[in-house]
Amino acid sequence: MSQLELVQELRANRPVAPTELRERVLALAPPPPPRRFEPNLRRLVPAVAFAGLAAAVGVATVVGVVHGSRGPSVTSAKTSAPHGAVQTRKTAKSPVRANPTASLYADKALGVAPSTTRLQQYDAFLRVRVKDQSELSRRTQQALRFTRSLGGYVVSAKYSAPGTSGTSRLALRVPIQRVQAAIAVFSAYGVLVSQRITLKDLQQKVDALGIRIRRVRARIAGGEPGAQLERDKALLRRLTRGRQATTQRAQLASVALTMAVAAKHKRAAAPPGRFHRTLDDAGSVLVREFELLLYALLVAGPLLLLGGAAILASRSFRRRADQKLLERA
Amino acid sequence: MPRLRRISVVKPSAQDFAEAAERHLDDVHAFLVYLTGDRSVAEDLTAETFARALERWRKFDPRRGSARTWLCQLARSTALDHFRSEERRRRREGRYALGGTDAPDAAFGEGLSPELEAALSRLSAAEREVLALRIILDLDGDSAARVLGISTSACSTRLSRALQKLEQEVTAGVAA
Repeated sequence: MSQLELVQELRANRPVAPTELRERVLALAPPPPPRRFEPNLRRLVPAVAFAGLAAAVGVATVVGVVHGSRGPSVTSAKTSAPHGAVQTRKTAKSPVRANPTASLYADKALGVAPSTTRLQQYDAFLRVRVKDQSELSRRTQQALRFTRSLGGYVVSAKYSAPGTSGTSRLALRVPIQRVQAAIAVFSAYGVLVSQRITLKDLQQKVDALGIRIRRVRARIAGGEPGAQLERDKALLRRLTRGRQATTQRAQLASVALTMAVAAKHKRAAAPPGRFHRTLDDAGSVLVREFELLLYALLVAGPLLLLGGAAILASRSFRRRADQKLLERA
Repeated sequence: MPRLRRISVVKPSAQDFAEAAERHLDDVHAFLVYLTGDRSVAEDLTAETFARALERWRKFDPRRGSARTWLCQLARSTALDHFRSEERRRRREGRYALGGTDAPDAAFGEGLSPELEAALSRLSAAEREVLALRIILDLDGDSAARVLGISTSACSTRLSRALQKLEQEVTAGVAA
């Protein structure tokens, strides 16, 4: 018997449900309507996602409209009065508004005070925005003069002013006792855009060198002439030089001052309108929400992946078990 | 200007279920007869399948497949539950064979030749279910694969092997 004949015979003699079974099935009464809410995941998940998206956009819009209608804030500029930085207050009136971080730095224009009892390495990096090229030139000369007047010196100076832009990069050494005054004055040359100060304690190193020097001196005093004595003397010279260099480093603070000409009055143009402020605020809120979502996904992602893998594995296992069961039956 | 058609999802009603039951009862029953190899068990499972279907009728989505495919999936799930409980029972009673060799006469169809009937009873339930879906119910490859939870190509392979084995069994039965 061929396969075709087999198929024909099977189709011609298919089982038919008996009448009793038909009546039994058709007599089935419909179940009462469900009392409780039965969530359908296939509909619930997209609905929740859509609601979340709508809420995020809604919040961003509301925040944008509320903040946008307030107008540009001037309070931050007024409250950002650094100690002794009179010039900063004068020039920072409008630009600080555009760059709120500038006011933050202007508050700290004096930087961190160096210790008066310990030797420290003091490095300051300042970036100041000036009005135009003539101001840049004037401020560069003032900075050089002021550094010398403080008893410091100029390590390097790079000045370039092509077109309407310009940059002046100065590497200065200032006596550490006067570095705060220098920072305050340099910060007042324009709008302080950024400021970084690093302090490193050198006292411990100098103390350790002093102890080693005393020991080597004692060895030299009680030692016999010979190769060892010569080695000790050389070591003593090296240690003494090292201590002098470290002490010298602690006496002069390093100040890297960069002054740049601001882009041609782009920010000084008419303040953004209410519509643009609303858009900006709404956009920043959306970006923040997106960041939070991304963070949540990063945290929950591995767990979700593990859960998904476990579900897939259990389904696969169940399917295989069913297949084996049917093969045995 | 062409009129826009309003697309709406109509929830299946009890009336729809009665119509679907009337239309597909023979299919579900035939499928279960082939799957179990026992007419009385198949009748009980058919009734149970439709009882389950009625409970879940609200969740049936016609866009995701036909009512026949959905009912066959339910029937298969009901039969698997039955096989599992039978296996547990047999294990408890210390019997290791799952039956099938003691199938009653004319289990699969009234007019089938004894050789074909015997050959069918010697096939496994997994082999018989694919024969039932593709040959008796005449489901297309995609629908049959969906019921079995496998790919279309795997379904075709399974059908081909089942037919081959059935042919061998019939030939061996005739020769004996």
